[in-house]
Amino acid sequence: MLNYIWAGLIILSLLFAGVSDIRDFARDTYRNGEALPVTVDFESPYDASARRQAVTVHISETDYESFYNADAPSAMVFEGTLFQGEQGRELRFANEASLPEPLSTIRDFTAKRDPELAATLNGAPAAGDSSFTGGAEFRPVHFVKMNAIGGAAFDFAETAVTIALGLIGILALWLGLLRIAEAAGMIDVLVKIVQPVLRPIFPEIPKGHPAMGMIALNMTANMLGLGNAATPLGIKAMEELQTLNSDPETATNAEVTLLALATGSVQLVPPTLLVAVMGLQINQLIFGIIIATTISTTCGVIAAKVLSRTRWYRDSEPPAIADQTGAEA
Amino acid sequence: MELFRTILNLVSYLVVPMLIVGFPLYGLIKKVPVYEEFVEGAKEGFKVAVMIIPYLVAILFAIAMFRASGAMDFLIDGLRPVLGLIGVPPEMIPMAIVRPLTGSGSAAIVLDMINQYGEDSILVKMAATMFGSTETTFYVIAVYFGAVNIKKTRHAVPAGLVADFAALFASIWVVRLLFS
Repeated sequence: MLNYIWAGLIILSLLFAGVSDIRDFARDTYRNGEALPVTVDFESPYDASARRQAVTVHISETDYESFYNADAPSAMVFEGTLFQGEQGRELRFANEASLPEPLSTIRDFTAKRDPELAATLNGAPAAGDSSFTGGAEFRPVHFVKMNAIGGAAFDFAETAVTIALGLIGILALWLGLLRIAEAAGMIDVLVKIVQPVLRPIFPEIPKGHPAMGMIALNMTANMLGLGNAATPLGIKAMEELQTLNSDPETATNAEVTLLALATGSVQLVPPTLLVAVMGLQINQLIFGIIIATTISTTCGVIAAKVLSRTRWYRDSEPPAIADQTGAEA
Repeated sequence: MELFRTILNLVSYLVVPMLIVGFPLYGLIKKVPVYEEFVEGAKEGFKVAVMIIPYLVAILFAIAMFRASGAMDFLIDGLRPVLGLIGVPPEMIPMAIVRPLTGSGSAAIVLDMINQYGEDSILVKMAATMFGSTETTFYVIAVYFGAVNIKKTRHAVPAGLVADFAALFASIWVVRLLFS
């Protein structure tokens, strides 16, 4: 299933990006190579020899709308700078300006080359002018979406590594602590306590197996909203379940059930991110969240159980290996 | 409710320090060489984190491309009438689609909705409840299964999505019940 979803995401991205770029091309959304009528007001009278001059750019609403065939905000006045050199005059828009579409897309698209939105100014103002009307020709823009999906792929490949490496510290801390707990026999004690509750959900786990204790720790951390601790504990629980799995590349029913528990994630204390977003409002919502999360987790676990018996997944479970650790219980 | 929350909060503050001190302390009592055991276990941390990388890259870049291409918006528009038929308010559809895919993306949607509909609106309450009641399915699959090298996920995705769907309907229902 994940194979199809994954491939589907990639193929659909390509398809949509392609269609949207072809549509831009057909509609000439960005009017490449054509000049938008603008009025430039000089802060001090125009000086033909100055390399740079501060200006204010006015764009009329009707001009904009007929040029780009897009909605324009009523007041379009932008701060900018006029650069002059042998190559001609270049108009640069200050970065803090909030630009209407499609200008903001053009700015984002050209951001790698130009730090600010830039346009070639057609026509020549006369010395001493305080205002000048001419055409602004923006940089050509092609294949916006194609570029965007490429950029997004690179960005998030990096993000993924940042997230994973960021886990090293807490993983090391918790895996170290858990190793002490195991050596001290704490996990065995915990297993005995939680076994009666968890056994019905995980009938595949032999009695007294440490996996049960790790699952209990993971669930507790999830309930208390301890995201930092929940992930290492869940990973440790998976590792314990893997000791019962004869094919380490294929998930067993117990592993899928644990995953359903983790995605449903019964949470009594809401996650920090949500608290940050909602502020004090969160107080009213806690009760509702507890009910909703209980329902969703229950449904997830039931779905995992039911699906494991359907004909698509019934025969793909790897056989369990006989377990030695829990034999004495 | 207030008291319940205070107690829960106190517990969640105390639990971590108690475990961090409690495990080694209990180990000492049981005459475990605590330092040696800790270091031995902690060694795994790096290995596990590195193991997760390929899985996380695979999931995150595909989802990022899907969002950047505009396909996600199309999916949201396409599902609007379908989900509307079964009683999902149209404003909740972006949240319903994005929640299983990305955590930061769905937090951004809640923020957007706050700006658009106001903090007190019932829609924001639904979205926030949904945010709080389920995890980012694909992220959890990448991390939990990636750490132990499971590639064939079998029914993990459908089961996770059932949980997300249940969370969507439960949030809508529970917020309507409590606030209107």
